[in-house]
Amino acid sequence: MTRRKVQTRRRSKADREFVSEAEEILEAMRADLADLSDRLAACREPDPELVNSLFRSAHSLKALAGMFRFDPIQGLSHRLEDVLDGLRLGRVPLQPALLALIDETVALFAALLERVGDPAAIEASGAATLELTERIAAAASARPEPQDDFASLDLDPMMLRALTEYEEHRLRENLRRGRHIALVQMAFDITRFEEGLSQLGGAVRENGEVLSTLPSAGDVPDSQIRFALLVATDLDAESLAAHLDLPDAEIRTVRASASPAVPAEPAAGGEQAGAPAALREAESEEAPAQPAFTDLESLKSISDTVRVDIRKLDDLMNLVGELVIQRGAIGDLIARLSSQAGTARLADEFAKVHKSLDRKLRELQSAVLEVRMVPLRQVFEKVSRVVRRLRRDLAKDVELEIRGADTELDKLIVEALVDPLMHVVRNAIDHAIEPPEERRARGKAQSGRIAIDAFQRGSHVVIAVRDDGRGIDTERLRAKAEEQGLVEPGALLSEKETLDLVFAPGLSSRESVTETSGRGVGMDVVRANLVALGGLVDVESTPGRGTTISMTLPITLAIIQSLIVGAREQRFAIPLNAVLETMVVDADAIQVSEGRELLNLRGEPLVLRRLADEFGLQTGAAAERPFVIVVGIGEQRIGLVVDRLEGQQDTVIKPIQGPIQELRGISGATDLGDQDPVLVLDVTALVEDAGRRREAA
Amino acid sequence: MSEASAMRGPTTGAWEDLARSASRPGETAAGGESLRQLLCLSVDGSPYAVPIESVREIVRMRKITPIPRVTRRVCGVISLRGEIIQVLDLRLRLGLSAFEATKSSRIVVVQVDDGRVAGLLVDAVQEVLRVGEEAIGAPASSDVQALVEGLCTRGEEFVSLLDLERVLELEDDA
Repeated sequence: MTRRKVQTRRRSKADREFVSEAEEILEAMRADLADLSDRLAACREPDPELVNSLFRSAHSLKALAGMFRFDPIQGLSHRLEDVLDGLRLGRVPLQPALLALIDETVALFAALLERVGDPAAIEASGAATLELTERIAAAASARPEPQDDFASLDLDPMMLRALTEYEEHRLRENLRRGRHIALVQMAFDITRFEEGLSQLGGAVRENGEVLSTLPSAGDVPDSQIRFALLVATDLDAESLAAHLDLPDAEIRTVRASASPAVPAEPAAGGEQAGAPAALREAESEEAPAQPAFTDLESLKSISDTVRVDIRKLDDLMNLVGELVIQRGAIGDLIARLSSQAGTARLADEFAKVHKSLDRKLRELQSAVLEVRMVPLRQVFEKVSRVVRRLRRDLAKDVELEIRGADTELDKLIVEALVDPLMHVVRNAIDHAIEPPEERRARGKAQSGRIAIDAFQRGSHVVIAVRDDGRGIDTERLRAKAEEQGLVEPGALLSEKETLDLVFAPGLSSRESVTETSGRGVGMDVVRANLVALGGLVDVESTPGRGTTISMTLPITLAIIQSLIVGAREQRFAIPLNAVLETMVVDADAIQVSEGRELLNLRGEPLVLRRLADEFGLQTGAAAERPFVIVVGIGEQRIGLVVDRLEGQQDTVIKPIQGPIQELRGISGATDLGDQDPVLVLDVTALVEDAGRRREAA
Repeated sequence: MSEASAMRGPTTGAWEDLARSASRPGETAAGGESLRQLLCLSVDGSPYAVPIESVREIVRMRKITPIPRVTRRVCGVISLRGEIIQVLDLRLRLGLSAFEATKSSRIVVVQVDDGRVAGLLVDAVQEVLRVGEEAIGAPASSDVQALVEGLCTRGEEFVSLLDLERVLELEDDA
């Protein structure tokens, strides 16, 4: 097994691995702690999922420290796990003092990590570790909370007894909050019950919290198995049934919603143990969308992973890029050799070698690109953490649905995506989703929904954020744009053009500035960030029904295929992912209308831009039958008129260094191997400019 | 790329030794005052100098790809082992007549403290001058663009020491 191999290698390497993995866990703990203390400061309900996540982190840390035989951390994290377990079971109350203690423990972990590999320093911190360990142990043994009386519940005592301590705690918690408690029962075909059960669980979770899932007795044929889900929800049994829309599910009220229950009376019951081993762990409503990995699995995946500095990958990428360029140069040489009589045969053999080199190089290139790809999952997890926090802070009921978390993108793009995506989601919660009472009045489900969908489309990835909120009020948007002088009063704008105003600088669609969004930076920044990555953002909205913001991004920024074109005497590269088609046109096929040149492209007018005019190229003659390259990003497209097509090449786009920073219409340059750099066109900017010019006209 | 490795590049030729000997650190004159090493350039017949520590590489003339729309201020870009660098015509920058390539023309790639890089088109690269700090005098007041930060002498003639920070400051009016 990989793990063993790692251990028998040089100690220092194992140490490094331990430290980097442990640091990752600590990082997650710090984030959860910060969230938790925010909530505590705001006097809100502790989020059970946060406590669970902390508990899992402590557990992973303990297992990791044990694996690497790092005793001080193992001992300390064991104690921490105890106290967090107490916390999540409600045995230990959540207090600022306890959070401070956990904070202190995390800080000590970090200090210990720094000393890994230095036994003397570890030894020296022994006393502090011991002292903290004792304080945590004391905190963990705090007295248990008195039991609630579950007797008032219309629930089979057998079922009550089967609840785990955690499940009991969640039940008690929900009773205290006065939510409806319902029992949802459903029978499944025994061969496929897992699928059905997870469907049912998913549907229920959209409307509440699943407190426990247990097999239940009942009159069912042998080929079927029946399950009972104990559910806490804001809906009564009838509306829950309507929301679930599962005719086969039997729904029964266990306790109707009431004013918060009378404070717990000391009662019988005491500690109960022994739920069926399977199906024990209740999932709270905030559980991440993917099934939780067991700790064993997650540790294994950690040890199979090499963490690499992204800069090393950049270097590697650059090297591959240079190799690709050299390959092009060799190709040119071969062409010259084969054109000469004396060397033609040699050139043939050379070409064969070149071809296999070419193939290997492509494999290398895609392997390196592959290494840089990471799933969007990590970003989405950050987003769902923020959503959890926001929905309390803003007192809005919002559910987040995420699909396509496995879609992969270049690491650098994923990093750069975090802020724009976060902004869009915040906007949706803050501006789009109505407060619960308003939603009820409009006949919508009380809780708003935000769905994030990620999927690959060609060489791009699309991330669509859809909400079912109030939609964009185009009239008000337009009024504001006119007020700010962005639009001439009375100017004729299409629906789409009006919607696009949300991306105009300084326009925030809601009048009140809230802390969550609307600080003056808005969708214009989102758009600028995405465009800087070679991407684009689109908006669609239906008043009263919701808004969809789609962000389109290239999968990688590294090596891209480009079309090399010539305009007069100069060459330009156009990223192939922006090219829709190319064609030769006769001069008389081009029509002039309102000062613009248009081409009839299968019945649709296509605005043409002559690259030579665009860039003021004068020397050299224009071709009689020029080529039109149809480029487009998203919905918009234009035709670039060029004189020559010179072929397709792999290009590594490099930034242009020098005194002039802003080169409109040019995104960089590339060296094709002949020391004569070719400028790469910024298609997004050219398309935008065309749009702007039309507005001006 | 570090300055040292750029100096070792294959295109630098004989300038390699020159630059290396000039950039020997901590060298001082007999009197103990610090010495500055300046690379002398010929621009339209007049001698100019730039601090040797700002010079990354000296390359022979090569094809310069023009950048549309900004050609008056920047001649274009060159590729230096895959790095794409803008090239300025130092003659135009100094308000002189436009550059014409000859056999002795060179592109001097400079980098200033804040990391900005540019290639400077010059008519010839001459030698490395070592002068004491106190031997550098104030520039002539006629220098309206303030591109010269000081004057020093070489035999009978004055050499203008360029303020590269200023030379690389072009207004963004694209």
